[in-house]
Amino acid sequence: MTARKFTMEALDWDSWLQTIDVAQATPEQIAVLEKSLPTAKTSPYYLLLVHDVAALGQRSPLFNAVMYGPRGLPRAERELATVAVSHINGCAYCASVHARRFAELTKQPDIMQRLFDEGLDTELEPRRRAIVDYAAKLTRAPQRMTAADLAPLRAVGMTDLEILDLTHAAAMFAWANRLMQTLGEPVAPAKM
Amino acid sequence: MRADEMEPSMTDVIDAVAGIAEGSYLAALRAQKPDLVRYSQGSHDVLLAPDDPGGLSLAERTAVALRIAVLDEHAALAAHYRERLRAVGGDALLEAAERGPDPATPARIAAILDHAQRLTTAPGSATPAHLAALQAVGLAPRDVVSLSQLIAFVSYQVRLLAGLRLLAEAPQP
Repeated sequence: MTARKFTMEALDWDSWLQTIDVAQATPEQIAVLEKSLPTAKTSPYYLLLVHDVAALGQRSPLFNAVMYGPRGLPRAERELATVAVSHINGCAYCASVHARRFAELTKQPDIMQRLFDEGLDTELEPRRRAIVDYAAKLTRAPQRMTAADLAPLRAVGMTDLEILDLTHAAAMFAWANRLMQTLGEPVAPAKM
Repeated sequence: MRADEMEPSMTDVIDAVAGIAEGSYLAALRAQKPDLVRYSQGSHDVLLAPDDPGGLSLAERTAVALRIAVLDEHAALAAHYRERLRAVGGDALLEAAERGPDPATPARIAAILDHAQRLTTAPGSATPAHLAALQAVGLAPRDVVSLSQLIAFVSYQVRLLAGLRLLAEAPQP
């Protein structure tokens, strides 16, 4: 994996398997797509996942609660954690989407660009450093973590509710990356 | 019946595997985020015990989950899935799930478990040929999606459990 594969530019995603034709979808599939994402009915990724409508019907509200649910960890920090996880797993599509979300929320696209150019060890302010380090360790070696891994988060003032959210965000991308990376691939968007 | 209208399970798997007792600090912490609890359990239920399992049997699903818990070295989660595998009559798959397939393992479950190992340990190495290998042993596109969701879900579960373990060991002072 090289840093060069990561980009903040928008990518498309192509499915390796046949997706559901939305015109042939069942009412249940349509309902689950509509609650997944506003654009899900034109997204190859969602039109693939809706093959198993029951699974997507649970996963989408979980994903939305993890990333956008009220209270707890600020949204931009959830995005930061997911970018760190996606970088480690090598999911360029996921990293691109969530780097742009972070940039929209913080108005700091330079931080994401530097993270892609220099890697996760790039200099970050202490709270962001602690978030990236925790997400990275949870991604690489969850069983080798100890209570000492909480100390840097607590040192920057993080509450246990925020740590719970951070854990869910990093864990959710263990899930998301594995779908995105193994059922299809990122492609450059068609030029207009 | 839609998946989100199902009765909640009697036992929350995360609480059971993590040893989170009713009324404990972690139970109260998790209760502050009810959607995370509800849909984590819901995902477990629709992937491990779906109303309509399609072409991926309950025993195969449970063997996959056990394989990942073993690979990720989570003893309590492995014990959970081992018990479930026996309960769904999957004893014949137990050894392959515990140790990984060997040349004597039937081709279908070997391909499924190999895919589980690849996605767990090296997700970036997957190619269309790996999906073709699953289809060659009889999995329909829907079954491949279900298998992928299941594998990725257990990776999520392992990491959620790890974070909860730390918070249980050292709650906020």
